[in-house]
Amino acid sequence: MTEIEGYRVVPLRMTPDAKNCHSVYMREHFIRLMDPNKPKGRTLFLLNVPPYVTEASLKTFFKSKGNVESVLFAEKPGRDETTNWYEGMDVPFSNVQTPFKFKVAYVVFQKSSSIGRALAIDSIDMFNSSGECLIKTGMELWHDDYVNNFILDVAKTQNQINAYMARYDKRERAALAAAKTSEADPDGWVTVGKDGRNAGFEQKESVIGRIESKLEKDKKTKELKNFYTFQIRESKMQNIVELRKKYEEDKQKIELLKKSRRFRPF
Amino acid sequence: MGRIKNNQCQKETSLTDSHSDSDQAVGTSSDDGFDEPKPITAHKRKVPFVKSEAKKKKLKHTEENVKPPTLEEIKEIRDTRNLFHSNLFKLQVKEMLEELQLKTKYSTYIESWIETFTTAVHEFKDGLLDNCQLEVPLHLHKKSFNFQFLTPTSEPKLIGAAATGTVLGPKLVVDVALEMPETCFQKDDYRNLIYDQKRALYLATVASKLKQLPAFAADQFAYNFHANNPLKPVLELTPAAKIGKHLSFRLFITAPVNIFKLSRFVPWNNNIRPSIFGDEWDESEALPSTPHYNANVLFDLTQAENQKLLQSTFTGHRNFQDGLLLLKVWLRQRQLDVGFSGFSAHIIAAYIVYLKQHRLLHQSSSSYQVARTVWNQLANSDWTQGITLCQQQPHQLSTLAGYYDVCFMDVTGYYNLCASLPLAVYKAVCAEAKLAVELLNDVKVNSFSHIFMQKSPLYMRMDNILKITNPASVDQLLQLHVKPHVKYDYANYAHPQLLKLLTDLLQKGLGQRVHAIVPLEVPSKSWTVDSKAPAIGHCLTLGFILDPEHAFEVLDKGPATNEDPDGAAEFRKFWGDKSNLRRFQDGSITEAVVWAAATDAPSQKRLIVRNIVLHLLEKHLQLDSSDVQYIASELDVVYSLTPSFKVAKLQTKLKLVQETDAEALTPHVIHCFDALARQLHSLEDLPLDIVSISGISPVFRYCEPQPLLPQARLVSDRMHAGHVLRVIIQLSPSGKWPNELGALRSLKTAFLIKIGQQLKEQQHLHSHLCKEGLLVLKQGYCFLLELAHSKELALLKQQQTERGVTTYMDNPASRELERRHYILPRVSGALHALHQSQSTFGPTVLIAKRWLATQLLDDGLWPSIATELLVAHLFQQRQTPHPTVAPQTGFIRFLQLLAHSDWGSEMFLLNFNNTWTEQQITDLEHSYRSERDSYPGLYLATAYDQQHAGRLWTTEECPSKPVLGRVTILARHALELIESSLMSPTIRFVRPAQLFMASGDGYDLVIELKPDLLPNTLCYDLGSSFLPISLRNFRLPLAGSDQLAKIVQQLRSAYSEYAAFFYNPHGGKELAIVWRPASEFAPKPFKVNELRASTPCSNGKVQVVRDTLVEDFKLLLKDFYLRISTPDQLKREQRNHNKPKRYFNDQSESYKPQKKKKKEPVTNLTGPKKRLTKSKSLSALC
Repeated sequence: MTEIEGYRVVPLRMTPDAKNCHSVYMREHFIRLMDPNKPKGRTLFLLNVPPYVTEASLKTFFKSKGNVESVLFAEKPGRDETTNWYEGMDVPFSNVQTPFKFKVAYVVFQKSSSIGRALAIDSIDMFNSSGECLIKTGMELWHDDYVNNFILDVAKTQNQINAYMARYDKRERAALAAAKTSEADPDGWVTVGKDGRNAGFEQKESVIGRIESKLEKDKKTKELKNFYTFQIRESKMQNIVELRKKYEEDKQKIELLKKSRRFRPF
Repeated sequence: MGRIKNNQCQKETSLTDSHSDSDQAVGTSSDDGFDEPKPITAHKRKVPFVKSEAKKKKLKHTEENVKPPTLEEIKEIRDTRNLFHSNLFKLQVKEMLEELQLKTKYSTYIESWIETFTTAVHEFKDGLLDNCQLEVPLHLHKKSFNFQFLTPTSEPKLIGAAATGTVLGPKLVVDVALEMPETCFQKDDYRNLIYDQKRALYLATVASKLKQLPAFAADQFAYNFHANNPLKPVLELTPAAKIGKHLSFRLFITAPVNIFKLSRFVPWNNNIRPSIFGDEWDESEALPSTPHYNANVLFDLTQAENQKLLQSTFTGHRNFQDGLLLLKVWLRQRQLDVGFSGFSAHIIAAYIVYLKQHRLLHQSSSSYQVARTVWNQLANSDWTQGITLCQQQPHQLSTLAGYYDVCFMDVTGYYNLCASLPLAVYKAVCAEAKLAVELLNDVKVNSFSHIFMQKSPLYMRMDNILKITNPASVDQLLQLHVKPHVKYDYANYAHPQLLKLLTDLLQKGLGQRVHAIVPLEVPSKSWTVDSKAPAIGHCLTLGFILDPEHAFEVLDKGPATNEDPDGAAEFRKFWGDKSNLRRFQDGSITEAVVWAAATDAPSQKRLIVRNIVLHLLEKHLQLDSSDVQYIASELDVVYSLTPSFKVAKLQTKLKLVQETDAEALTPHVIHCFDALARQLHSLEDLPLDIVSISGISPVFRYCEPQPLLPQARLVSDRMHAGHVLRVIIQLSPSGKWPNELGALRSLKTAFLIKIGQQLKEQQHLHSHLCKEGLLVLKQGYCFLLELAHSKELALLKQQQTERGVTTYMDNPASRELERRHYILPRVSGALHALHQSQSTFGPTVLIAKRWLATQLLDDGLWPSIATELLVAHLFQQRQTPHPTVAPQTGFIRFLQLLAHSDWGSEMFLLNFNNTWTEQQITDLEHSYRSERDSYPGLYLATAYDQQHAGRLWTTEECPSKPVLGRVTILARHALELIESSLMSPTIRFVRPAQLFMASGDGYDLVIELKPDLLPNTLCYDLGSSFLPISLRNFRLPLAGSDQLAKIVQQLRSAYSEYAAFFYNPHGGKELAIVWRPASEFAPKPFKVNELRASTPCSNGKVQVVRDTLVEDFKLLLKDFYLRISTPDQLKREQRNHNKPKRYFNDQSESYKPQKKKKKEPVTNLTGPKKRLTKSKSLSALC
């Protein structure tokens, strides 16, 4: 029954007879700015969760203390950390995996009463009543991973693609339609797309840059250079300054090299 | 804006008063702005300007405005730019010269030493020889003659480097000459080596007398031979004082010029009679001339005259001295000045005088100009016709030149300074000089370090090396094959006789195949004065620089039999029964020798030169191949196919032999890839055409060290393959691709499905869709096709700013994609092209990669592409005049690069096709220097990297700084092993097992893995230092499932804060672990963000426990791990075990423990500090 700084410390056991276990630090999740995905009073916060522990295994274990709504991971406590952890997972076919690191976990129960029960446990057991591990490891894991995740079934994938593309087309059509209607919203703003009758220019950095540089160029061509004596003198001076600057830079390089003793040939 | 105006006002005012200054400055011209011979006597206010730029700069800074330029400043800056290309070069040269300057403490010591020495010498009493108790440092059969020691009449003088003020560290050697008095000699002493004996006796007497003096008694006395010349013993005196660590004196005995007539020593005269060697000589025949021996005596006689000439040029002329220093550094770094046949610095000094005489150099030439002119002149020189320092040459140069390879007559016109210089060495020096000039002219490289700083030992330029060290065979050569007149000529010194004999024969036999045959010498070791002089030069080491165009021609064609019967007969006589009469396709019938089949593997063709040399040695000199050592391709075995895999069992249409290697197998893969590319191009019914197909796996650029056999196959509908070859496909452009990443990727996948279906229908190729692309099976190879689309890159980079403007920012994901899809194909193409032009590139990479793998450095610690690019850098850079032809030499140079690169300050630029401009390179350098910390530890950039230069191929973690440090140490150790075995007369060249096996020390834990789960490598396996060789298993894994690599990646990602993981990616069966320093495992206060892997301990603190981590390792390696033990335990077990049988020779077993011991400090990964903690960590575990 160890406690440290308000955290309850329990061992995470992989097998019933495990001796050297990791310690997991638990407490009720409570911060000022609550995340809607981690509701107040129903969320258990776990620190130092080993990398190989999965969402599913934690969910299975805590089910005995009450129905679990979700389990979320993050690299460290903090805002947006959970989003960062799962970044890119929503894009299909993108080969992204969550980091394999020590992490923190948020277990969201359906009822707030489950929290108390969860905090009363003596250990987190990653095995079921018959002693089987909840986490797939070893050859089993690798083989499963290869067969189910690495190799894709063509027909299933094709269906998945078709479904996704259908949704995408729908979204695109809706956006296009919205752009075409070009009706003012309640505040009087009109959304201007790149299509339609009164299309604006694309809001891209390169496009804007091009326009800006063109404006600048126009301004410059009207200017006279190398005309007044002072301009000529100035450009000469500039030349000298540059020469000196280069010299200075080279000297600095030498100083650097000198420090690393690069002038002893033998 | 305002500030500039201000500046300007000030400037205008100052401009007017600076006029007077610049007027005066016009008169003081400097040639290049540094090292003016005379200090400028300009206006007083100017002095600091000229003398120290540093002060001037300070001045500028404090005033914070633009100072008017003085004429000098402008001139100086412009001159340095025109002359040196950059200030940088000039400043570097200046710094180096400062570094090389003799410190005053040494020069004063030398002066006082000479004084004491002079007084001591003059107090010597005359006496008979019997007083001399020391050994005479000469190997000559003594004939009794009268010799009496007489007090020297002239002062001892400084000669050589000390006299010209160019003594070069780090071990300063000051040469002192002592002249024997004239009265020591009789009329006939010039003949039959009597002069040399007297000289040696005199030296011995001086040594013994000096030793008795209190001022010298404590000093170290030793003899040595000057330039490995057994007729020129010198006395080496190392002062007993602390200064002796850096300074020693060499005493030469010379003779006055007038004791003999110089004309006695013209090259056509004989001064050693055959009778002295007990030989008979036909009275009617003219005595054989002894040009080399004559030059030997003349060296002493003309010493004073030559020295006078040198001093007239060098004394007081700092610019000339510095120029000579630069050239000496250049020469020494290339080791061309070593030994009897070396191009000594003395020749360079004389050449500078020669150039001055011919008005190519003048008094005011700066040091840089001196060096540059010498290189320029040397590069285009031809000394074989003879040049001379003498104003009135007593004999025709053309006559003199006929007696020597290279002819450079001294000031008297009698002595040839280059008498013992073989033509090949002279040619090598010229080639180096030419390269130096080219480097200086190339604005894109910083030539300074190439020319002066980089050590490039002579043996690293040699492709093959022949060593004859066996005394019996040397005697046999000398007695049976050397002609007597050569023996007299060199006064029976074995080395030049062997050199002449062998170079003549081999040059004739090899012809165009070699650029040069150069002797490799080791400076003789000194010996104490009371022991006998050692016999030196009884061995020969020859280096061959091969010509890549001709070296590996399979055929030597003789003259046509019907046109030139005599020539044909001679050809047949020369080659013996190897020569056959052959009819060629063009109808000619000629004698010809065939060395290999045209279809032979490249590694076999590389042995052609070896076979020729061995054949010639046997045929002409009766030397068996066991009597000599021919070093070529010893290490190439590491990329050959392991003998335990039987190719015959493989079902394939390709014609494969058992003795094959990765290099020979690569063309098959590329062939198959080309066929696949054609099939892909011809696919019909695809919505978009395939426009480009490029392979990005290392094998497509000849860089895959593991032999790739056509093994891949379908087993119960699963693809099994050892290697997956990655291919990038680009489609013809279309505007219809979606604007969302998910949709784009979905469509890409749909495309791959389509390609897979069409391949099946039209070409009957099996394919599987997988997460990373489309796996295609063709002819036993497994390809992984990926689609590249530029929109994907754009979408990855796309970001919205707060103003709603779309910008494109690089991020790790986009960079990785750009690298894989766009840049790697181009770099791959460039490396492929490099291999086509220099076929050594590929095999060199193979050896290098194998070496790194066997040092337990896998892709996660040291990116394999970094190896490829570093080797490419080595091949692109012109460090040597001739390209490296032997992969083994390439590998040695790669080791040298690893061992001596300063990772923190060196950048490795690969300017493919010369695409970078000078400005771009300077920009890169500038950003590198100013933001060094933002770049990875190893900076590699290619011309295709665009804005990612330096960050694309390496990262901060891979290779990390400790890994770089470790690689440096490992490379140094390997280099040491190679060098010592190469230069030693007794040890044979290193066996691959010595180099290509990691040492087992320094690791804390070793996790043995189950051998039946991990396939062996197809490479020639040299075994592991931890485990005996287990049953081999060549089971094919599922395509694209490298489980061990993935597990190690997981381990590293989760536990690299606490431990480092090492394994051999080429079929290693163990995982070695080193714990991080103990501080990581100490108790620390509870912090929410720093709680990883820690368990509470006492006092509310937390701590990481190693045992818990070990449990984790076991869990992650479940099913793979066999057991965990410490290296010590394993070693003990291996010892107890009845020596496990290995397939390489048993010698290695007895040898290995020694080697490991030697390596112990080296493999200590974490430095001495962590070494201490190791024992603790081990005890904690036990």
